[in-house]
Amino acid sequence: MAQVIVVTSGKGGVGKTTTSAAFATGLALRGKKTVVIDFDVGLRNLDLIMGVERRVVFDIVNVIQGEARLNQALIRDKRVDTLSILPASQTRDKDALTKEGVQKVIEELSADFDYILCDSPAGIEKGALLALYFADQAIVVTNPEVSSVRDSDRILGVLQSKSKRSEEKREKVKEHLLVTRFDPVRAERGEMLKLEDVREILAIPLLGVVPESESVLRASNTGTPVIMDRESVAGQAYSDAVGRFLGEELPHRFLEPERKGGLFKRLFGGRAA
Amino acid sequence: MNSQTLPETFRLRAGNFNLLVLRLLDPRPEAVLPSLGDQFRKAPGFLRFAPIVIGLGDLEAAPEEVDFRALVEGLHALEIVPIGTTGGSQAMRHAAQVAGLPPLRPVGGKDAEGDVQMPAPAAAAAPPPATPAAPAASFTGSGRTAMLVAEPVRSGQRIYAQGADLIVTATVNPGAELIADGNIHVYGTLRGRAVAGAADDTGARIFALNFDPELVAIAGYYAVREGLGDAPIGRAVQVRLEGEEMRFEPLG
Ligand SMILES: Nc1ncnc2c1ncn2[C@@H]1O[C@H](COP(=O)(O)OP(=O)(O)OP(=O)(O)O)[C@@H](O)[C@H]1O
Ligand SMILES: [Mg+2]
Repeated sequence: MAQVIVVTSGKGGVGKTTTSAAFATGLALRGKKTVVIDFDVGLRNLDLIMGVERRVVFDIVNVIQGEARLNQALIRDKRVDTLSILPASQTRDKDALTKEGVQKVIEELSADFDYILCDSPAGIEKGALLALYFADQAIVVTNPEVSSVRDSDRILGVLQSKSKRSEEKREKVKEHLLVTRFDPVRAERGEMLKLEDVREILAIPLLGVVPESESVLRASNTGTPVIMDRESVAGQAYSDAVGRFLGEELPHRFLEPERKGGLFKRLFGGRAA
Repeated sequence: MNSQTLPETFRLRAGNFNLLVLRLLDPRPEAVLPSLGDQFRKAPGFLRFAPIVIGLGDLEAAPEEVDFRALVEGLHALEIVPIGTTGGSQAMRHAAQVAGLPPLRPVGGKDAEGDVQMPAPAAAAAPPPATPAAPAASFTGSGRTAMLVAEPVRSGQRIYAQGADLIVTATVNPGAELIADGNIHVYGTLRGRAVAGAADDTGARIFALNFDPELVAIAGYYAVREGLGDAPIGRAVQVRLEGEEMRFEPLG
């Protein structure tokens, strides 16, 4: 049985799709059979960030409406052969997704994959509810700012009351906090929430902290998930997060502003990217 | 974020809880409180703000000999929060109820309590968690009951303790709302809204270990954050009504 993981946030534009692409690729790079589903019907971003937009023929709505078989819609990644993408439709409206339809898709994928990642749309409406409904685990993506934390808090409440697991009173959805777009310099200056404040309010285990990095934009422009950029601090932070998700104990990195001057760097082997 | 689609806002459930029982062996608060205080100084942090049930079964005094109000006040001063009584004669229970301590009925019969050791003085450096572990007494008694929430209350969630006190042993986040017909206790940080005495009980109070609310209200009188003035934000606080004035008093 596959583990279903929703990547969610409440607030828009915080890095869900970036995270879904990086995380799915990271799991696949470690040999896990992984599929990532775009639930953002109408916007369709994931295929761009994964660099497969020119290979999309069918999408999840076609599958649900019986117009295509699942393996016709699945796109095999060319870089990592244990990775597949199920794109969203750009032309349909959001109501094309139904709970029964999604359930069928997830059940069918469960037979072939270890992990099913669901890239949620923003908000707490139907699309987001559907993306989280079947989740066993949730990666809650949060930026270190008040409104993002508030919305993540909200979505955590929803996870514990509106997911299938909560409705069936099974063991609750396992929650992971992923803080993204973290800028150590601005945090130190008090221009962003401190990591401790975010953790204190959300009170769930911290999976990782991804620094703000230009490499993310570069990566999405070239359709290469940022985790494949080994020079990038964001890529390394995602890689660490995947390792922690799989049970490795890794210290959190990139939390402090980079010290200028060579001595510190030379002593500790630090590196900028 | 759109707030039009209201998610399910609460569920009412019965619950059983482990609580510490403080069995009185002496009816005089002036005798009990100092020795309790001594114990607590040896083990700082133990029981801090823990809800506690007062056991009346071992008392041999007459009800009118026990000054329950003084006892409650003294316990509050020690940062212990009595929430009701167990055992004792009916007259004794009634006397306690008049002082705001409703009788609770233990699950599993009369003597459902077990002994709890105060931590040894040596353990004082690392105080044990304030959550009681061993004994069992439940809230499901007559009189005012209490509802216990042990998970963080998150933005968008709303909890209503109907005809009851509400005890939250975690944080209450901005955008969350607590409503109780009785008192509200928050053994965490109160950052959301707290509405006590919702059934017009002007005697209801709000207690918070770390007071940082968006809004507090008692029996319809309310104060928004801007109106909190010089209330002791960030401290342990109790809120009560004095006439039509809301009072914010630091605890401990
Ligand atoms: N660590 C980062 N450093 C710099 N920019 C980032 C980082 N993470 C995400 N971004 C940028 O933030 C923007 C939003 O990211 P993304 O599309 O992943 O968010 P989203 O949560 O999926 O948005 P939506 O809610 O619209 O689906 C993008 O321009 C992306 O390049
Ligand atoms: Mg997105």
